[in-house]
Amino acid sequence: MARLYVEEWSPEYGASVDTDESLAPSEGEVDVTVEQALPWDPVDGVDDGFPAIAFVDGIRRVDARLTIDDPAAGPTPGICGSFAAGAAVWRREPLSTAVEAVRVQRLAIFTGGATAELPALGHGLSYEIESVTESDPGLLISHFHTQMRRTEAEIALELARSGYFVVADGPISELAAESVVGYIKSHRVSYLPQDVMPIMARLEPGQRTPLFGMPSYKRYSWYQRLSRPAGGHSWSGVVRCEAPQSLGLERAVVLANRTAALLPRFRSEPHIDPRAPQNLVPIGALERQLRARLGDRDLIYRALRAATMGVPA
Amino acid sequence: MKNKKGVGRVLGTQHTSTREFRVVLEDDEYLQLDDLVVVTTEVPRKGEVKTYGIVTEVEAIYEGATFESDTHRIAAEGILPAAKVRSAQVAITRIDPELWVSPDPGEVVDRATGAERDKALYKDEMGRPLAVGLGRDGEPVFVDLDFFDGRKGGHMSVSGISGVATKTSFALFFLRMLTANPEVVGEGAANMRVLVFNVKGEDLLWLDKHNKDFDETAAKGWDRLGVKPTPFQSVAFWAPPRPKSGDVVVPDISGRQEGVAAFAWTPREFVDEGLLRFLFTDASDTRNQIPFVEERVEAQLKRYAVDVAGEPGALVLRDPVEGHKPGDVVTPARGEMVIRDLKSLAEAIEEFVDPADDEPDQRWTGRVQPGTVSAFMRRLHAATNRLGHLIRAGESRRIDRLSAQVTVVGIQSLHDLGQRFVVGALLAETFAEKERSGRRFPLSVVVLDELNKYAPRDGTSPIKDMLIDIAQRGRSLGVLLVGAQQTASRVASEVMENAALKVAGRLDAAEAERAEYGWMLPSTRARARLLKPGTMILSQPAIPLPLVVDFPFPPWATRREEVVEEGDPFEGL
Repeated sequence: MARLYVEEWSPEYGASVDTDESLAPSEGEVDVTVEQALPWDPVDGVDDGFPAIAFVDGIRRVDARLTIDDPAAGPTPGICGSFAAGAAVWRREPLSTAVEAVRVQRLAIFTGGATAELPALGHGLSYEIESVTESDPGLLISHFHTQMRRTEAEIALELARSGYFVVADGPISELAAESVVGYIKSHRVSYLPQDVMPIMARLEPGQRTPLFGMPSYKRYSWYQRLSRPAGGHSWSGVVRCEAPQSLGLERAVVLANRTAALLPRFRSEPHIDPRAPQNLVPIGALERQLRARLGDRDLIYRALRAATMGVPA
Repeated sequence: MKNKKGVGRVLGTQHTSTREFRVVLEDDEYLQLDDLVVVTTEVPRKGEVKTYGIVTEVEAIYEGATFESDTHRIAAEGILPAAKVRSAQVAITRIDPELWVSPDPGEVVDRATGAERDKALYKDEMGRPLAVGLGRDGEPVFVDLDFFDGRKGGHMSVSGISGVATKTSFALFFLRMLTANPEVVGEGAANMRVLVFNVKGEDLLWLDKHNKDFDETAAKGWDRLGVKPTPFQSVAFWAPPRPKSGDVVVPDISGRQEGVAAFAWTPREFVDEGLLRFLFTDASDTRNQIPFVEERVEAQLKRYAVDVAGEPGALVLRDPVEGHKPGDVVTPARGEMVIRDLKSLAEAIEEFVDPADDEPDQRWTGRVQPGTVSAFMRRLHAATNRLGHLIRAGESRRIDRLSAQVTVVGIQSLHDLGQRFVVGALLAETFAEKERSGRRFPLSVVVLDELNKYAPRDGTSPIKDMLIDIAQRGRSLGVLLVGAQQTASRVASEVMENAALKVAGRLDAAEAERAEYGWMLPSTRARARLLKPGTMILSQPAIPLPLVVDFPFPPWATRREEVVEEGDPFEGL
């Protein structure tokens, strides 16, 4: 009979796959003339007084690595993981930010289409069982990550539909025509051709570059400056944002202007956040709270081990 | 539990204990210091246990703020999500049934009201609960009278800074509650007598007068205590006679004219009651041989003193070998010194102990150094100047403690030596009376301010000995001391330790840290520096924690200006 084991090594082992990398568009065809003809000039952001911004983000954690040991079929790897997604909603009236729409999900994922019953864990813990068809253990994490991304996208869409302006962490994954802006902190790839580069040095906080189209990804994108950190280079304090092309240029410009004007106020300080200024204050706080909602990692790990060893938790 | 939500829940991020726990408050609720709360905990195999407690500190913080500057991001810029979390520290007063377990985290915390409040304050266990003030919730706070009137404990000690601590006011308020609740006091209430010394100002000489400033708020307070706000009903006021006023005896008092009687002792009373020792009450007097001479002289005076015909209270000193018996009355011989006051008494004593042209009579002095006798006489003469007017022949003017329920003796105009003399003489009288009767009832209560002067921690004196005696034995004899002092640390520890009820008003910061206030919680100590007049901290053996109580403004006047004139001159205006 097949038995379920919790591996003894750290659950995070082998998890350092930058799973967002694959979602980011790679260097390719960029249309730099969708908003302005060359040469580019910085565009001032416009605060249109929109009443609320929802910053959507998610975090995930591998709780344990599992193995189904079938005497006949050999070992099948799996993971147990928890993720939480939610929004930090900033409102102008009253001026405040609150964490809302939080969802916590726990998944047990196995390779090769295998499934196993998890014994009762106690502490109100329960994992949904899923599996990937492939047998590559590396895909466990990316499946897990995708599930979190999907939940984030659902939350973003719901909030956008109920009238919030949504800034989602990371590239946008839904192409629906909603007020959702993707917010990308790091820029490993520069999408811009050489001849527009001088604009970056001229960009002041609260200003953005003109929109450029990424037709193959059906997105508009722009760079904007949050701040000029002391001792920074021309790209420090700059972030890239994107909006779905399906919004139409006119609406995309409104969103871009709003984002350029409003986001600098949420920038973080370098002495507080090592990812300053790009790691926005509400997002940083949201991540901390989401992490707390995942529950105590050691407690969960012990509960899983105890349950699989047949010891009451 | 009416309000199922309660005021909050027991905090789960730190350990609860059998001494304290924290409450995280609901958004629409609050707790303030001294509020009483109750938590119900389900104990495995034992069932429901209620934990009662009192709020000792209240705090608030932004949860989610990591850096101090986050406060701006949360409150001013609104860009950082944070939860305002308010919490209260609770010190546990009682666990019922008595099962020493800590309350469970996450349990609902309720305000303790009604019967639960009584449980939190042990009122249900008190033999005879007497209201002695109002809690922060406006409800009465009780002491178990068993711990004042001698059944289980006795005496009360009140400490605090002069002027703002309202020590005397509280003592009188307490007396008023005692006299107003005969049904609680029980058999001790009948003929209960209270002796109050007015040691400074003339604050206590208006206890029978209505207070002009008594207002609606104060009336409500008295109403909550269930006592009709009236001045003391039965009060007698006594003051020493004015010095150098010749044969006319007028009470030495400036504010009040009517209803104050002058008191004095006749030389006969002085000798019979052995009051000589209360002329030597300075702590330094005991360091030499003066008490030895004093005891000898006192004994001889009793043997030698003979009444004088036609002059009540006056004495002549005659050698007992002449054969006079107690109660004899003689006519003084020509040239024989008649003792009519302290001056003549001193002179008469001097004839024996330090005659101008003869050797001292060793029956009076014993074998002491001549210097000791001189020191004795020096002090006797000094006393003559300072309190000579308290001793005079004539009709008896001694204080009649039975004429009214409360006897106020105004000694504020006397020199320190005179004050000690009067206090000593009256305490001795009160105590001796009870010792003779050997019965606890009727109760005799003595209110004495500036206890540090009468029973100082260092040195010895006849008054200190007496106060220690009262503190130790008075409980069983029904003599109860309500002592007040600025600094408990300066009062004889035997006196402090025997007080079952301990009360403090505002304390000096350094004083509050002393061991004498070990009965306070650290939080109470900190607050003792900030207490307002009319607020006291009260400790009693029946409750393991000190309570903060307010007592309402008195309906009796405490100054001449507050007195409501009878036949109000402004009436009809």
